[in-house]
Amino acid sequence: MSENYILTTENLTMRFGGVVAVDNVNFSLKEGELRCLLGPNGAGKSTFFKCLTGQLTPTSGSVKLRGQDITGWLTHDIVNQGVGIKTQVPNLFNGISVYENIRMAARRKHLKPMAREKAEEMMEKCGVTHLAKREVGLLAHGQRQLVELAMVLAEEPPLVLLDEPAAGMTGDERDRLADLVLETARKAAVIVVEHDMAFIRRIAKFTTVFNRGAIFREAMIDEIMSDRAVQEIYLGKQADVAA
Amino acid sequence: MERSIAKDVGFYVMLGIGLVLMFIGPLIWDLFQIMQITQYVVLSVYALSLAYIWGFGGILSFGQAAFFGLGAYTFAVASINMGDTTLPFVLSFILPAAFGAGLGYFMFYGRLSEVYLGVVTMVVTLIFWKLINHTAGPEYSIGDARLGGFNGIPSIPILNVPGDPSAWLDPAQMFQVFMAILIIVYVVLRLIIASDFGRVSVGIRENEERSSLLGYDIRRHKVIVFAIGSGIAGMSGAMWATYQTFIDPNAFSMEMSAKALVWVMAGGIGTLAGPILAVVLLQWLSLKLGTMHILNNYVILGGIMMILVLLLPKGLLPTFQALSLRLWTIGKSKMKERTPKGKAASDV
Repeated sequence: MSENYILTTENLTMRFGGVVAVDNVNFSLKEGELRCLLGPNGAGKSTFFKCLTGQLTPTSGSVKLRGQDITGWLTHDIVNQGVGIKTQVPNLFNGISVYENIRMAARRKHLKPMAREKAEEMMEKCGVTHLAKREVGLLAHGQRQLVELAMVLAEEPPLVLLDEPAAGMTGDERDRLADLVLETARKAAVIVVEHDMAFIRRIAKFTTVFNRGAIFREAMIDEIMSDRAVQEIYLGKQADVAA
Repeated sequence: MERSIAKDVGFYVMLGIGLVLMFIGPLIWDLFQIMQITQYVVLSVYALSLAYIWGFGGILSFGQAAFFGLGAYTFAVASINMGDTTLPFVLSFILPAAFGAGLGYFMFYGRLSEVYLGVVTMVVTLIFWKLINHTAGPEYSIGDARLGGFNGIPSIPILNVPGDPSAWLDPAQMFQVFMAILIIVYVVLRLIIASDFGRVSVGIRENEERSSLLGYDIRRHKVIVFAIGSGIAGMSGAMWATYQTFIDPNAFSMEMSAKALVWVMAGGIGTLAGPILAVVLLQWLSLKLGTMHILNNYVILGGIMMILVLLLPKGLLPTFQALSLRLWTIGKSKMKERTPKGKAASDV
């Protein structure tokens, strides 16, 4: 593989008993690239995502981060290689405040005073400053998504993996999220797994479509949207509405 | 996540009470009371070992007695052989901590679930108990110390002044030394909890997956927390052994493990002061009930425990804190109501 690829998978396969959730996937992501992963429910996007993050150990094949084989590594080891992960369901410390959550993340990379500043900066960026003292467990789903994103970005990782970041968000929150993702993609490589087509159209360029555990198409978003085969397997009427 | 020490009034209150008791206690109590309260102090250190690993590390151990007993036997064997008690006392922390780290390594790196963790810790305790019970013959000796099987080890040296084995501590001095140990353990644990390491431990307790997603190795953290708790339990075992000058396999009993769980649950999981209060209250109650001969002690204590769990599920201290806060808020709002707004001084 060329060395400007930050993440690659080779023949990545994940089986659950007789079910093949991810089937021989060869995927590559360049440094600084923003890639969206699309696909209908059960296409294997999230399983593929979990194989990248170490939450699942693939049955066969490999995952390489900047050429280093990280297949089967534990999540914290992958994170410590500079990978920021936002899971499908917001994963937060519910009993403490928004600020404390983000500060804990910032503390991974910064000393105490800097971590405080970084946490405040990320709260501002993600539009959750007004919620700073609120207990995270009491927030709405969309707000929790933004807090988790702020936590991921506070660590300033060169590779950001986001699993359905727009789920449960209001229109305003989604717009802010799109701006944030685009801004992040200027400094880091980003993979976004998402269903929300309006959101996808705002951020996506080169896009990978999954179907039945395998890569179905890889092309620019406009091509994907006008691809009849893709429409048939996934987009259907949504594509017409979005167009 | 956890309050910083500077703002923790309860911490200073407990510290103050501890220091006052340490210096004033021996002046006002008779010998029996001193002996009795020394027992509470030893058991409080033991309770703190579980309060820390369960309340602040999320590790529910059903076998804290394994480390308590290990510490007690380590101290007994080493002090009988050495004469001086200082090094044996240090060993009673180090050996159980090392054993806890080893056991923890297999449990946490083996990714055992909470249920299996409970089972493993309980089984380890039972193995120790069974093993020590079968060491009755003279062949089971380590140096000059005979393990004694179910008869235990008698004539364990009383704690002496470091470097002078003939200068034994009298009961009042022993109480003061043990009280100092309790205060030190309490303060050190509070400092650990307030540190970055402690915050991460609490983070792991709250959400293991998120902690892992932040890049923290939860296995390593848990091993360290478990080893610290094991060391403290071991040290309390040594305190118990020297206080009684005797130790038997009951130090490894299920009852001993269960007591620690009861104290932490009754006092309040996630607090350090709560389990100490529970030790004092429940041990005192146990003593009183024992002298009354109304009903079996354990039946009554079991009943009290059930009532506590049903009525005060959060434990004594958190309930007391919540109640105090509520009364304070009510009092404050009533004070405000009584103060008429905008009343001129001349109207009064």
